[in-house]
Amino acid sequence: MAFVQNLPFICILISLFTGPLSSILDGKTAKKLNLVMITAVGIMSAMVLAFTISSGTSYTYMMGHFPAPWGNEIRVGVLEALMATAFSVIMLLCIVGGSKEREEELESTKQNLYYIMANLLFCSLLALIYTNDIFTAYVFVEVNTISACGLIMIRQNGHTIEAAMRYMIMSLLGSGLLLLGVCFLYDLTGHLLMSNIKEQVQILASTGEYQIPLLVCITLMTVGLAIKSALYPFHTWLPDAYGYATMSSSAILSSLVSKGYIILLIKIFYRVIGIDVIRASKITNVLFVLGLIGMVMGSVNAIRENNIRRMTAYSSVAQIGYIYMGLGLGSEIGVIASVFHILSHAVSKALLFVSASGITCASGKNKDFASLTGAGFRNRLAGIAFTVGSLSMVGFPMFAGFISKFWFAQAAFENADHTKTFLALLVLIISTVLNAIYFMKTVIRIYTPATALAKERNYQNITIRQQAPKSFAMICFVAMNFLLGMCSEPIMKLIQSGLEMFG
Amino acid sequence: MGIWILLPIILPTVAGMFLLVSSFLQHLKSTESELKTADSSLKPIVLITLAVSVAAALYVSWTGDKSITLFYFMKDMPICFAVDATTALFVTVVSVVWPLVGFYAFPYMSHEGEEKRFFGFYLVVYGVLMGLNFSGNLVTLYLFYELMTVTSMPMVLHNGSREAIMASLKYLFYSMCGAYMALFGIFVLHKYCDTLAFTEGGSLNLALAQGNETIILIAVMAMLIGFGVKAGMLPLHAWLPAAHPVAPAPASAVLSSIIVKGGVLAIVRVVYFVVGADVIRGTWVQYAWLILSLLTVFMGSMLAYREPVFKKRLAYSTVSQVSYILFGLAVLTPAGMTGALLHVVFHAFIKCTLFLTAGIVIFKYGKSRVEELEGIGKCMPKTLWCYTFAALALVGIPPASGFISKWYLGQGALDANIGILGWGGIVVLLISARLTAGYLLPITMKGFFTEKKPEEIGMKKGEPPMAMLVPLMILAFVAMILGVFPNGLISYAAQIAATVL
Amino acid sequence: MNAMMMLVVILLPILAGIPIPVLPFKNRKQLMWYVEGVTILTSVLVLLMLLNRPTDSFTLFQFTEELILEFRLDGLGMVFAGMVAFLWPLAILYSFEYMKHEGHEKIFFMFYTITYGITLGVALSGDIVTMYVFFEMLSLVTLPLIMHTLTREAIHASRTYFYYMIGGAACAFMGMIFVLNYGGSSFVMGGTLDMAKAGENVNLVLIGYLMCFCGFGVKTAMWPCSAWLPKAGVAPTPVTALLHAVAVVKTGAFATMRVTYYTFGTEFLRGTWAQNLLMVLIIFTIVYGCSRGLKETHLKRRLAWSTVSNLSYILFGVILMTPAGLVGALSHMIFHAAMKICLFFCAGAVIYKTGRNYVYELDGFGRKMPCVFVCFTLSGLALMGLPGMCGFISKWNLAKAAMESGTLLACVGSVALLISALLTALYIMPVSVRAFFPGKGFDYEKISDVKDPNWMICVPLVLLVIVIFYFGLHAQPIIDAFQMVASGM
Repeated sequence: MAFVQNLPFICILISLFTGPLSSILDGKTAKKLNLVMITAVGIMSAMVLAFTISSGTSYTYMMGHFPAPWGNEIRVGVLEALMATAFSVIMLLCIVGGSKEREEELESTKQNLYYIMANLLFCSLLALIYTNDIFTAYVFVEVNTISACGLIMIRQNGHTIEAAMRYMIMSLLGSGLLLLGVCFLYDLTGHLLMSNIKEQVQILASTGEYQIPLLVCITLMTVGLAIKSALYPFHTWLPDAYGYATMSSSAILSSLVSKGYIILLIKIFYRVIGIDVIRASKITNVLFVLGLIGMVMGSVNAIRENNIRRMTAYSSVAQIGYIYMGLGLGSEIGVIASVFHILSHAVSKALLFVSASGITCASGKNKDFASLTGAGFRNRLAGIAFTVGSLSMVGFPMFAGFISKFWFAQAAFENADHTKTFLALLVLIISTVLNAIYFMKTVIRIYTPATALAKERNYQNITIRQQAPKSFAMICFVAMNFLLGMCSEPIMKLIQSGLEMFG
Repeated sequence: MGIWILLPIILPTVAGMFLLVSSFLQHLKSTESELKTADSSLKPIVLITLAVSVAAALYVSWTGDKSITLFYFMKDMPICFAVDATTALFVTVVSVVWPLVGFYAFPYMSHEGEEKRFFGFYLVVYGVLMGLNFSGNLVTLYLFYELMTVTSMPMVLHNGSREAIMASLKYLFYSMCGAYMALFGIFVLHKYCDTLAFTEGGSLNLALAQGNETIILIAVMAMLIGFGVKAGMLPLHAWLPAAHPVAPAPASAVLSSIIVKGGVLAIVRVVYFVVGADVIRGTWVQYAWLILSLLTVFMGSMLAYREPVFKKRLAYSTVSQVSYILFGLAVLTPAGMTGALLHVVFHAFIKCTLFLTAGIVIFKYGKSRVEELEGIGKCMPKTLWCYTFAALALVGIPPASGFISKWYLGQGALDANIGILGWGGIVVLLISARLTAGYLLPITMKGFFTEKKPEEIGMKKGEPPMAMLVPLMILAFVAMILGVFPNGLISYAAQIAATVL
Repeated sequence: MNAMMMLVVILLPILAGIPIPVLPFKNRKQLMWYVEGVTILTSVLVLLMLLNRPTDSFTLFQFTEELILEFRLDGLGMVFAGMVAFLWPLAILYSFEYMKHEGHEKIFFMFYTITYGITLGVALSGDIVTMYVFFEMLSLVTLPLIMHTLTREAIHASRTYFYYMIGGAACAFMGMIFVLNYGGSSFVMGGTLDMAKAGENVNLVLIGYLMCFCGFGVKTAMWPCSAWLPKAGVAPTPVTALLHAVAVVKTGAFATMRVTYYTFGTEFLRGTWAQNLLMVLIIFTIVYGCSRGLKETHLKRRLAWSTVSNLSYILFGVILMTPAGLVGALSHMIFHAAMKICLFFCAGAVIYKTGRNYVYELDGFGRKMPCVFVCFTLSGLALMGLPGMCGFISKWNLAKAAMESGTLLACVGSVALLISALLTALYIMPVSVRAFFPGKGFDYEKISDVKDPNWMICVPLVLLVIVIFYFGLHAQPIIDAFQMVASGM
């Protein structure tokens, strides 16, 4: 066994241990530790990715060399490694980009707490990506929930506490449902390791036994994860949580956390239940419809917002809708499109959150649109970055969003069911326009020269250097956006091969 | 040889443009007060131009058939001019009336002002009319038809008052509306005709037209109504009574006597030279056309009868009379067409005379309503005699000219196999003639036989200046004499009718 | 000529335009020479390219295997590129004078120059993906031009504009997916549809076509997506004139030609319900645009509504789906460009010199601004379709094509053309009459401040009028060229 194959496990492990370790460090050191850890994980994940690409296969990794059914396994393939790499990069940039906000917004005594939470969150994400054991997955879902709550609540004002409570309740409901599903499944199959469960489920499916319990458990798990990833109409916790948390938290939550659950869901579909059974259960149709509604309603809500952060948050609801729509198409290519959109949305949404914060900084921390007038001139880089993010969201060619839109449309097109094709294409069109409405409204707003209000309040210009970390993050995100838009081919190939290994 | 056709078209146009530009430049340079003084070079330019071009036009049109293709807009759109018998007839009428009215206009326009502009357009319109009359195919005809609308419009709005402008716009839009309806017809005919060049008896490709009769008939109807706008045919006649009263008298004279004939010419060309009379004979198009023209005849007379404003009354009279011509064309018989062509000639002279009289009244006394004209015969007997002759001719009392044309119209109607419309039409024509007498002759009566004493009339005695009186007399004389010696003209018209029917 | 040349003409204005705000110009004049120089240079290069056509295509880049950026110059592209290349330097000349009173010139010229490159990009696109990419970029770079004045109204208009554009692009995008799946993406006269595949799902393909056509048609302001165009009239006149009468909107028309003739293919589309449906929409737009223009008293907005109607003339030609229809569409594309740009320039000259915007404020201007109003009247007459001017030629060609295609709807369409021509007379002529004949006793002292603008505005006007007459009187050569294009050069 090559050494590289150990790395995923090491990644999880170091991120897990740096969490508690941070509790005895002061804020600054904790931050450094956090950054080093994420960087290290990123590098390791990249090595794993390179390894899996070159070997062309996936492998399972038994922890402590105990074989199933006693041992715990992680499983590594191209897709997992790709996700882990991408997540580390995005996480790193989010943490870097939001460092100044955190210093200002968090009490100095709680600085290190933030990194504890961040490390744990990261650890749980990695675990969700890699694990081959459904119960482990559940455990890390809970870890994820708690650390995410911490990230929201750590900036203490009335809004965040309320938001965190709401998030907590909804999330626990979600994980409760997931747990129920896992229990049922264990009951039905007698296994917790994914590959073993799948074998049993296949047998159940072929014999036609326990159809209803199986369906119930699929539903429970799907709904549980849907609640956690804020699929419409389970999204009510999201705007407050994303809207009022500190910037890096919002960025991480929207671009990574919800995606972690979706990856888990894909995993359940492919590895636990088997995609054929899922298709037969018609649960995809439900997801498809909810995804479509989410695409429209998320945007409609975003249009009605007068707060740039909450608007961006609502946009996530819409984008999650896209992903579920892709899953709901039930075809291979639909899932590919969804996975790509996970990446492209992560990159764009993180960019939007970072640049939105840059814009609000140039407007005296006000988030209402009237105050943002002319902010694009006061903070040029943030203005450009926000524009790029918006264009990507709208699906402008050359940016990541264009490619995902293309693949969604392609997926919809290749669907055998023409009703779905038309619904998907129609909603894609509508949703593109709605996206344009609120994002371009904002872009135009920030490029309208400042009104008397801005002069009166004496907003300061912010140069690139004054916000160096944020600028760095923004530039990187823009570059990634561009890269995903222009050179998506290799990444699509990776996803495709990853998905092939997945099943 | 054919190149000479261009002279009467281009020369007046160029001269007119020159006048217009120079007038415009004057306006740019000087203030309003300096403009009052008339330009002495104006008169010679206008007269020489008119003389040369009239001579050229008459010469060209009476020296045999000839044609010239000027150039091509596109391959299937040649601009070409040709001379045939119909052309010669129309050109002659225009070329006689136009200079006479021109003479008349010199004194008349001196009290309207802006003479340079008026005469500029006057010359340009002459050139355009020549182009219209000489045009050798439908596209050329359409080109000059549109140009005629655009260039004659400024003559209508000459005095610049609010109602003149509104009337001119009304004129423009009605004409445009008609032109576009006609254009639709041209589009269709372009597909179904072998050529758009005027061919006696029409050039419709019967093989192509087979099975597409409906669209062709619709197109012909559209063209009839469209070109009928200029001729004041129902339902698009309303521009005429609006435009004529506000225009200066020379302008309304030529509008009423010449320009409306542009519409008639276009209809003649379409029906007899492009589509062919046989195609529409007996179809709904012919009946619709007959009914429309008869309605117009009757309505025009009735409206004229009720109208108290002199020039407006004459305008309604034009509406009615031009539809005599259209009726004659619509019966599609040689006699009918002969009558129509005769009426074209007669009506041109008669209506010109009438309008010029109205102009003189306005020029001298500023009176425009009929009831104000009581006793006018005592003030200017010669003028009123001219009016009376012309009026008698229009009513159709033999031997005055109107009688001849109406005779042929009636005969044509009876010849045609159109059932009730034949003799019914004659009845309408007769009723209308009664009405014509009813609205024209009382002016003469009251003008000569008034109980008012000379001092009560309130108008100074005296004839208008010679420049106005002489053209008037010539026109009235021609209107009379053509009725007395009509044979040459009749045979000429009958010959035209024979070639196309 | 080398195919790389295509890339050069596209990139030259873009790359030269981007640094304009930071280049150290000492005065306006230097800026002017720079911009005009770049534009003329590009136009000359385009001209050289037209004379010496590069026959092979040039692939720049691949997004994915299906999404390829490819450039190729064929007949249709030549027509469009030629038109753009002719008009752009004129418009730049005009804008130099005009933009004096608008301010923010550097930003303006930056985007104006970039737009040139992108419009050429649309013209030279070799496949539908490339066209789509440039199409979207065009929407984006023209956005700042519309909001240039930064008034509330301008910002509102630019938003509306962008929403419409994105909606259209989204629709076109979906249509593009159909194209990619049912045929090849590159443009071939007669279409690239895979008949075996398409034959099974005729209705599906037609829906794809509808999406493409309507999506690209948004830029041509086809009803029901026409509201953005009059609103966008708040932009500075060079923008309204060049972009909203020519470059942007004609890009839409150009794209619909590409989609209809070069992608889906007329053989497949002719006689289908999609053709009929679109034709009804187009015919309605023709009349609707004119009627709205008639109601409007704001001169530029009136002209914009007129553009709506006239663009649908072009679409009407396209939707006839015969070579003759394409000839008509192309001729109206070119001729309308000359006429409408001239009208807009006139309206702009009035705004520039006097700040007057409404038709009823123009009494007596004809005498004070003779050059402008003579040009206005002449181009207005051309727009009405007076024979001897270019508007008649295109109308003739369109109607001829309609008659030849022989369907009832086509006949109705040619009637609509004529109704629209009449309405055109109704909204154009009163302006001229008002300007030249203000009424009895009009006091010219009241408008004594009104004067003709200087040569930079008048020269483009006169040149355009000459073009109008030239093509009106001697149309055969250019019609022949169009026929060559339509027969698949």
